[in-house]
Amino acid sequence: MDIKAYIQSGIIEQYVLGLATAAEAAQLEQLRVEYPELNEAISAFEQSLEMHIRANEIAPPSHLKSLIEKELFGEQNKSTAIIVEPVQTQQLQQAPVYNMGIWKYMAAACIILLIASTALNFYFYSGYKKSEDQYEALLTERNTLQANNASYKQSLQMLQDTTMLHIQMKPLPGKENNIAMVVWDPHSKDVYIYTGGMQQTPEGKQYQLWAIVDGKPVSAGLIDNNCIGLCKIGKIDHAQAFAITLEKEGGNATPTLTAMYVIGKVS
Amino acid sequence: MSQTLSYTESELIALLKQRSQASFSYLYDNYAAALYSVIFSVLQDKELANDVLQEVFIKVWKQIDQYNPEKGRLFTWLVNISRNAGIDTLRSRSYQDQQQNRELTSNVDTAAGSTHIETDKIGLRKIVNNLKEEYKVLVELAYFQGYTQDEISKFLNIPLGTVKTRLRSALIQLKDFLKK
Repeated sequence: MDIKAYIQSGIIEQYVLGLATAAEAAQLEQLRVEYPELNEAISAFEQSLEMHIRANEIAPPSHLKSLIEKELFGEQNKSTAIIVEPVQTQQLQQAPVYNMGIWKYMAAACIILLIASTALNFYFYSGYKKSEDQYEALLTERNTLQANNASYKQSLQMLQDTTMLHIQMKPLPGKENNIAMVVWDPHSKDVYIYTGGMQQTPEGKQYQLWAIVDGKPVSAGLIDNNCIGLCKIGKIDHAQAFAITLEKEGGNATPTLTAMYVIGKVS
Repeated sequence: MSQTLSYTESELIALLKQRSQASFSYLYDNYAAALYSVIFSVLQDKELANDVLQEVFIKVWKQIDQYNPEKGRLFTWLVNISRNAGIDTLRSRSYQDQQQNRELTSNVDTAAGSTHIETDKIGLRKIVNNLKEEYKVLVELAYFQGYTQDEISKFLNIPLGTVKTRLRSALIQLKDFLKK
């Protein structure tokens, strides 16, 4: 290669001034390794260029230097503040915006859930209250039935008990459809009465059981209007017959004979 | 009186790479005015040149490791960074918009007879201005405005080969002027 011609081709000036293409620059950089005179030529042009530019310097505004140094070195102190802060504020700015959406929906969801929960509470409470009332009613009913059942069971046992005296009481004329029975324990002398076949007592009235002892009526006791099955009345030592009269509430000392409903002889 | 320190290029580069603030100060003091003239000869606007000079020194500080002494002098590297930064600004959208507005006002100024800054007498332009007219255009477009030879060929409607040889001839003449 004619290196002298290459040097004088203008490529060196092109290269130094940054006007060579990438291919031209690559070729020159390769050649300068081989030909030291190329380096000399490059260096010579660089120096003359520098001399010329330096000879025509223009002083920049004096404040520029401190401005640049402030930006570069002030930056080092600020850098943590400048770099870290925007990240933080970005997070602070972004996070709330991002979270606000979530919290907004969360809050809305909470309110909806609270309202729904409250409504359900009322619904369930009223349901619970209703159920409780029904339960109470059923419990009462059950207790009543159980009690009734117990007394019926007892009554049945007593009725089946052959050691007991069973006295059938028949209705008097005009008092038909009334029937009652006395169960009398000959040992304990306890008297029980069954009035399930009797008319309902009118308001303020009560049935009274009488024992006929030696032709004279002796009060055996008042019959509870709510008596179910066999009801224990009291003790009677001996009697020839039993009768039931309708008396005023609390009973009478002597029976109202016109209001005698049933009577039965002890056999 | 403290003696002014003087570094060789390689010493300065080594210190810059060590992130020495003093070396940056030295770099600025010794190169800013030269680079400012390069930037100004490209932009022909002091305000813009101020901005670009700042940009250049920040870039140099950050990219000093990219400087390869085998490819050329530090000064050459700095000049090329400055010229490129100036051309980038020239090509930027904001500059283009600014120029459109400015054309109107400068026309008014000219009409009013006010004197234009004689940019032709500043820095490298002073030499380029002495080139033959046909060379002057090429150097203007290639060096100061950053057009590629291919672009110039299309722009001036002359063959690429002609642009290539003519540009080289222009640069040889430029070199001769520099030696004077």
